[in-house]
This record gives sequence, C-alpha cells and structure tokens, in this order.
Amino acid sequence: MDAILKSDLQVKDVATETKSAVFWRPTAQTGLISWLTTVDHKKIGFLYGIFALFFFLVGGFEALLIRLQLMTPNGTVLTAQQYNTMFTMHGTTMIFLAVMPLSAAFFNFIMPLQIGARDVAFPRLNAFSLWTFVAGAIILNLGWFMSAGAPDAGWTGYAPLTSKTYTPDHSVDMWIMGLQLLGVASIAASLNFIVTIINMRAPGMTMMRLPVFTWMTLITAFLIVLSFPFITVALVEIMMDRLFGTSFFEVSGGGMPILWQHLFWVFGHPEVYILILPAMGIISEILPTFSRKPLFGYPIVVFSGASIGFLGFSVWSHHMFTTGMGTVATAAFSLATMAIAVPTGVKIFNWIGTLWGGHISMRTPMMFALGFVWMFMVGGFSGVMHSAAPADAQQQDSYFVIAHFHYVLIGGSMFALLAGIHFWFPLMFGRKIGEFWGKLSFWVIFAGFNITFFPMHFLGLNGMPRRTFTYDGNLGWNSANYIATVGALILGVGIFIYFAVMVYTYFKGEKVGKDVWDARTLEWSLPNPPPEYNYRVIPTVHARDAFWYMKQNKEQIAKEDAAHAKEEAAHGGIHMPHQSIYPFVASLGMLIAGIGISVIDNDPTPGFWGKKIGVTMIGGVVMLAGIYFWALEGNGGYHLHPENEGDESNGKKPAKH
Amino acid sequence: MRLATILSSAAHWSRAVLAVGAVSLLSACDYNFWRMDGHQSTIKVEGPVAKSQLDVFYVTCWVTLVIFILVGAVLAYASIKFKARTPEEEKAIPPEQGHGNPLIEIGLIGASVLALVIIAIPTLKGIWYTYDVPEDRKADTYEVTATGYQWWFKFDYPSEQIAGAGALTTANELVIPAGRPVRVNLRTIDVIHSFWIPKLAGKVDMIPNRANHLWFQADQPGYYWGQCAEFCGDSHAVMRFRVIALGPKDFNDWLSQQTSPARDVAPPRIAANNAPKAQFASLRTFKPNETGHTAKYDTSPLDAWKAHQFPEKGENQALIAQGKALFKEKACLSCHEVQGHGYAGISGPTLTHFGSRSTLAGALLENNTEQLHRWIHNPESVKPGNKMAKGYIDNNIKLTNEDEVALVAYLQSLK
Repeated sequence: MDAILKSDLQVKDVATETKSAVFWRPTAQTGLISWLTTVDHKKIGFLYGIFALFFFLVGGFEALLIRLQLMTPNGTVLTAQQYNTMFTMHGTTMIFLAVMPLSAAFFNFIMPLQIGARDVAFPRLNAFSLWTFVAGAIILNLGWFMSAGAPDAGWTGYAPLTSKTYTPDHSVDMWIMGLQLLGVASIAASLNFIVTIINMRAPGMTMMRLPVFTWMTLITAFLIVLSFPFITVALVEIMMDRLFGTSFFEVSGGGMPILWQHLFWVFGHPEVYILILPAMGIISEILPTFSRKPLFGYPIVVFSGASIGFLGFSVWSHHMFTTGMGTVATAAFSLATMAIAVPTGVKIFNWIGTLWGGHISMRTPMMFALGFVWMFMVGGFSGVMHSAAPADAQQQDSYFVIAHFHYVLIGGSMFALLAGIHFWFPLMFGRKIGEFWGKLSFWVIFAGFNITFFPMHFLGLNGMPRRTFTYDGNLGWNSANYIATVGALILGVGIFIYFAVMVYTYFKGEKVGKDVWDARTLEWSLPNPPPEYNYRVIPTVHARDAFWYMKQNKEQIAKEDAAHAKEEAAHGGIHMPHQSIYPFVASLGMLIAGIGISVIDNDPTPGFWGKKIGVTMIGGVVMLAGIYFWALEGNGGYHLHPENEGDESNGKKPAKH
Repeated sequence: MRLATILSSAAHWSRAVLAVGAVSLLSACDYNFWRMDGHQSTIKVEGPVAKSQLDVFYVTCWVTLVIFILVGAVLAYASIKFKARTPEEEKAIPPEQGHGNPLIEIGLIGASVLALVIIAIPTLKGIWYTYDVPEDRKADTYEVTATGYQWWFKFDYPSEQIAGAGALTTANELVIPAGRPVRVNLRTIDVIHSFWIPKLAGKVDMIPNRANHLWFQADQPGYYWGQCAEFCGDSHAVMRFRVIALGPKDFNDWLSQQTSPARDVAPPRIAANNAPKAQFASLRTFKPNETGHTAKYDTSPLDAWKAHQFPEKGENQALIAQGKALFKEKACLSCHEVQGHGYAGISGPTLTHFGSRSTLAGALLENNTEQLHRWIHNPESVKPGNKMAKGYIDNNIKLTNEDEVALVAYLQSLK
C-alpha cells in the first residue's frame, strides 16, 4: 500500500516537470496575478473577507435607505419599486454575500491553522469556490446597472410572484442565476472543508480535541452540502418555468406554488444555522481565551451544535405556519421548533459556565462576544415565541419577525464575526486594534443596534407588516419607526468607526508579537502573519486547547518538534501546491454563461446561434476549458526548506527548490 | 495629556450628539408605541380567535421573560464578579482549568424542557381552537369567500344570492354580523396574499391551487383594519381592507341594500347645459404616498361608514348622468361592474354600491370627492403598478378634468 502510494507520487512529480512547458504554472508572489492564481487558504480567506465586508457595507447602505423611507409615515425617499428592490437586495446581500462569505473567510483562514494543517485538502477547488462566489455576487448585482433593475421579489422569491407572468423582466433571472452560482461555490467549499477536517488533522488532534470553531465549521459544511441541493432544485425548476415554459410553479399549467415554499425553507431553515453556527464557534473560542479557562462542557457544546444541525432539518415549516398546513402538521413543527431551543439554551449555559470562576479580560473581542450572548438570548427568546404557532399567526410577516431575526443575525452572527475580526486580526496582520476605539465602536454599534431593532417588537405586535414601502400615520407606528431610523443611523456611525479603525490599524496599528491574547488553540503558536506553509513542523497534539498545553509543557514539545523536523527534512521538506489560473478560468466561464442565461434577451429571430445561446455556449466552453486544463495540469507542487524560525523574521525567503 | 484631550473632546461631542438626538426624538411626538393600541394591534384584541392567540403569546412572553431574568442575572453577575480589574489580575496565575460539570448540565437541560412544556400545552390547545369554528358554534357560522387580487380583496357572500346575478359580491370592505363566527374561504386569483385582521385573528395565506380558510368573530359591532401580510408585488404595502361588524338589524339592512341593483339617479328634466362644471376645478393634487384619510374619519370610522350608506344632499343630477355615460365611453365597464346599469366587467372590483363604502383603492384612501378624484386622475401615483393605470395606457384612455369630476359624482351616487 505504502509502496503504491509512493510510486504514484513520484510519477506525478515527473509528469509535472515535463508538462511545465505546456501548462503555465504562475509563480507571481505579488500583484494581480498572484491574487487570481493563489491557492493559499490564507490569501483566499483574506479575499473572502474583503468581498464580504464590501457587500456588508453595500447591504448596510440599502438598509439605511429602507430606514430613511420608513422614518416618517408616507415617506417619499424611495418609490415602491425601489423600496422593494432595496429590501430584496438587502436580505440577499447580507445573507449570501456578507455573513456567509465572512464565515467562509474564517473557515478558510483559521480552520486549517486550528487543526495544524498546511492548507485545505483541495487548494485549487478552494480558489474555484472563491471565484465562483464572486461570479454569483456579480450576477446578483448586475441589475443595478440595467434597465430591468435589481431583483425585487423578496429574498425568499416566493412563486408565483417570481414567474414570468408577474415579473417579466430579467431581475428575477439574475437572482436565480446568482444564487445558483453561490450554491455551487458554497457546496464546493464545504466539501473541501469536510475533507480537510476529517483527513488533515495534525497527529493527536482527535475529533474530541478539535477546537469548537473547527467543529462548527464541520457541522456548517455538512449543513451546506445537505441543504443547498434543495434550493438548487427549486431554482432550476423556476428557471425552467421562466426560460422554457415548464409548469413547476405555474398555476395555469397545474403547478404548485406551495412547493416552492417547502423547497425553499428545507434549505432556508438550515441556512439560518449555517449563519449562526460559525458565530457560535467563534464565541466558543473567544470566551475561554479571555476567561483564561477551558470551555465549560466542551462535549455538550459540540453535541448541541450537532443536534441543532440535525433538528434544523426538521423545522422548516415553522416558516409556513400561516399557509394552512392543518392542525397536525402545525403542531408537529411547533413542537420540533421548541425542541431546538434546548440545545441552543445549553450553549448559553455553557458560555456562562465558561465565564464563571475565570479571570475575565474585558478586551474588545470579549466585549463583542458578551454582546453576542446577550443579544442572541433576546433573539432566541423571541424565537421561542414564534415556535408557538397560534402566537406566530399574529407575528408572521410582521415587524416582530424582523426584530427577531435581526437580533439573531446582527446581534448574533454579525457581533460574533466582528468579534472574530478583532480577535484574529493580530494573527492575520501582526497588528492589534486599539482598545479605546475598539470599545467605542462596540458601544456605538450595541446602542445603535438596540435602538433600531428593539422598538420593532412593538411595531410588529401593533400590526405593522414587513416589506411595506409606506404606512399611514394613524396606526400608532410613527414614533417607533422614527426611533428605529435614528438607531439605524447610530448603528451606521458605529460600523463606520469600526471599519475606519480597522483600516487604520491595518496600515498603522500597534505591532504585536506572537500570541497576543495568551490564547489556547494551535493557530496562536504561529508567528504573525503566518508563513505561507503555516507550520514549519507539523505539531503534535496532546490535549484539547493544544496550544495552552504546549505553553505548559514547552520542553516536551521542543523535543518532539526537533524530531519531527528531521523526519520531514528527510521526506524532502515542506510540500507546497503550485498556483493555478484554471480555477479562475472555470469560474469566469460560469460567469459568462450565467450572464448569457440570465441577462441577455431571447433573440426574437429563430435560429440556433442567437445572442443568448451564443454567449451561454462561449461561457460553457471557457468553463470546460478551465476544468480540463485544471485536471490535466496535475497537482504539481514544490518543496520548501525553511532553515529555522529566525529566517522568517529576517524577511528572507525560505530556500526553495 | 493627549488622551485626556481626546477624552474631553469625545465627551464634548457625545454631549452634542445626545442633545441633537434628544431634540430629534422630541419631534416624533407620540411616545406611546409600547401601548400597542393602534388600529392593527394584536394586543388590544376584539374577538375570541385573536384573544386565544394573544393568550398563547402571553404565556411565551412570561416564561421567556422569567428565564431571561434568571439567566441574564447569572450572566451579568459572572461578567462583573470575575472581571479582571487590573493588569496584574489579568496576568495572575490562571484559574483552575475545569472542563465542566455534568450534573449542572443535566439539571439545566431538564429545566429548559420543563419550561418548554409549559409553552407547548397552550400552544397545542390554541392550534386546534384557532383552526376552525368550534363544533357547537358551527350552526351559527356565517360564511364568506375572500379572494386576493393584485392589490385588492374581493368578497363573495355565497348565502346571499341575487336573482340572475349570482352571489352578492363586494370589494375591499368585508361587512359581517357581529357576535357570530365568520368562516372565510381564502382564494387568490394571481400571487400569494395573506389575509390579516390583527384585532380579530392572525393571518392565513391565500395561495394559488390551495383551499385555505380562517375563522374569527367580532364580539361587538365595530370597524377593523386589515392588510395583506404576504409580499405580493409592487403595491403590497397599500393592499388593505376593512372589516365592518354590524348588529343583526344593521346587517340585514345592509344586505337588503347590497342585494338590490345600483341606485339610479334620474337625469334632470330640463336640459342642463349650464351644469356647474367648474365647481371642482380647484381639486387639489397629491404627492405620491400622501395620507389618504382625514382625522375626522379616523376618530369614529364606524359612524363615517354609516354616513356613507345614504345619498349625499345636493347631488348634481346632470353631472351624475354625464358620469354614467362616461363610464361606458371611457371603457370603465370593461373591468368594473355596476349591476342594474348594464355594466358587467369582472376583472376589477365591483362598483355596484361603491358609494356606500368608506374607502377606495384597496381601502387605501378615504372615499370622498377629493380622494376619489386623486385616484381616477392618477392611479399609478396612488398604487404603483396597478392594472387600472395600465388600462388607461393600453386603451389610450384620457380623462379631462370635467370627465374626472363627472365620474366622481357618478361613482359617489352609487349607494
């Protein structure tokens, strides 16, 4: 077995040597080409983060316009169509283009470091995921620059409103195509993470020693792989309806619009956990670090994360309590939804248990993390209120729901991601965000967030439906809406401070050494920023909180490292994957084909080579070319021989051959 | 020194921001949003279905509030008690590296399950109660059918048949008997809508290819606000309706009026070539989204509705006759029906007794001369994307001010 594997590897090495004349293997370390061809999980993670934060600002701007329109009754900031576009794109952008990719940024950057790996399992697939995500984001947002306008049928895209009859223009086509590409990106990335976590853990890193963030990455990846096929099916069906006149959802042809809701929410509810589980993982790293204590009840936190993932697939119809499912189905989904509160509550208890008896350092990441726990509790409790179906009949599609899911998604996901940025910033860039400005941004964001969304509970109970561009002044909604808008502006200021401080810190912030927080997990054993090969010597893990153990047992670790370094040197040094342009080419092909399918009008003149088909085919050819060249160029790779840790700080390149 | 300067200027600025914030908040004059007593309140309810939903809500509210206070108190205590206050404390020898306590975990899981059971029992009761009219009330139930259109509601009364014209049909204002259970069959002609009268019952969706229903009861005669609660396209926000619950006598009076043909105002005997055409010339124009109701109507809507049931004094017969002719000439009849006048369009709301409704344009505007003129003059600005505006363009319908004034007079005469 060993011999076979070995010989296989050698054959590949030879093949790479001979093929290098035919296939271009880029080696640029700086400039645009280096970014387009990178397969380094850290660079890819960084790019995910940049795109996500950009779209976070775009989605936030859309939200501010929404709030300005609703500041006073009968507002005229936006027209009805513009308003509908804004809330559709706000939801779609924040979920698919901000929170998910920001989580993906952490999966990419942090997860391989946490398990002591040198990269993800499939580095080029990772690049493909990134660029396909970018292609999807572009198609989703193309409408802003077109006469059809951006999508305006709600982020849930309920049939039959999205059918050709009710939305004849291309806006919905772009929404459908964009989401399909995002699905491809997410599934590819998730498969990659699953394989990475299962196969590429450092020696001794058993599953029950995995850092909780890595565990949540694994669960999230499984949720993505299992839930995205549902929305993909739904999207393909509606695309068929729109392009080829099929009748999946077309009532006149016998279609069932309710089918869309089932397919959408079988995806949509796990999606909620796709958004929140990474956040819970981040919190489960930050709280122990700043309490200087291990996570309370690690196995239960992991198990509750997994059971949230499982139960997440059995509660989708609580989004459909008002669709007339009948008593038994409503009761079943009602009880299942309540059951999910248990593992969620368990996490909160364990986080408090982690704080208990610790030495809590109130640094900025910890502030955001504690803010998360508070806000997530509020969002969780209003979630329990929704699970009671009779009460939900009044709350469904009202501002009460808006309040609930913003508490979970901003107070929950976003707070945790903002905490994560603060927490890992020193590791990523070797600089630390100043405490004063960090805490100031936290308090402004915290205040603005609550001023915006707390009054919305009252609005919803007072009967204000969501997705309404205007309201009359006689319904008792004026002051709450006004306060919410003022809060949104404060929240905007807070986010501005946060970003300004981050940009400042990136260029001029205080430089810090390794392990600035006295942290517990493996990634902190690396110099900052981490070298491209991550670990000079693959670490051996002896305990949960591996790095904490290393700090307690330095001599033992030093001995082991020295032994392992020799072994690796004997194997030819650190193996690094080659860069490749083909993942980018394949994604580019998908972008072109996607534009062909969703944006270009059907050619009125009959004939095969119409503009629409032509562009789509060109895209398909580019994509296939990318995939084939990617397959044929081979794994490639080269070896690095870093002399010792000192080399890196001197800025010298490690020897390469 | 520098930090002190920064801090003091930060304090200065934050005071300024607070002052500006306070002033801007003051201008939003009503601070009563926590009373939640608006026309669409789900807290101040007026029927048994909404009441049962509210009761379940209160159970969830109290249970979660108690848990929140308990857990929040422990969280706050832990955050304060175990906080490291000085750099020395931060750097002190780390606390015991304990990994948890299974007994505490199991105890807390048990407590959470118990709390959920407290919520689950009334939830299950509520699900069955709110689903359909209780058996012992079935005989007393009044049945109507509501159909959602982009962006208005049609109401059919299957138990009130009109000879030669089928069931009684109205639009946008659902008149029901008070004190009796009402079962509404929910249908839609186009996309998904949702039927919601917050004070009477939670919403149920109107979904194509699906026969949904809901029931509710208005305990007292009253005037209730309803609104579409599922996003249904451009003008979803202004797809509204009203429910008017009447006592037995009032309800029967209303039925007998509605089941008769439209009121016909006789044309004047003398040739009215000096009809006062300039009378309405100064009707004001409206901005988009401008409020469509007067404060007077809002204070006693049921009285306002009742006043609409009788012809206005000083009607201009000549103008009404002119409007009646224009209704045909300008192709209004291709979408709207006026029973008894020979107009039988079906795709738009019926106008047979339009004048007896208190609202128009999907219960968005108060039914008065000014607002009706606003609607006929420029439907698109009132309700973006609606079919009437599209009909004007498709059929090349152009209305002069005189036409509009005559049509308004005609429509208002239809009691």
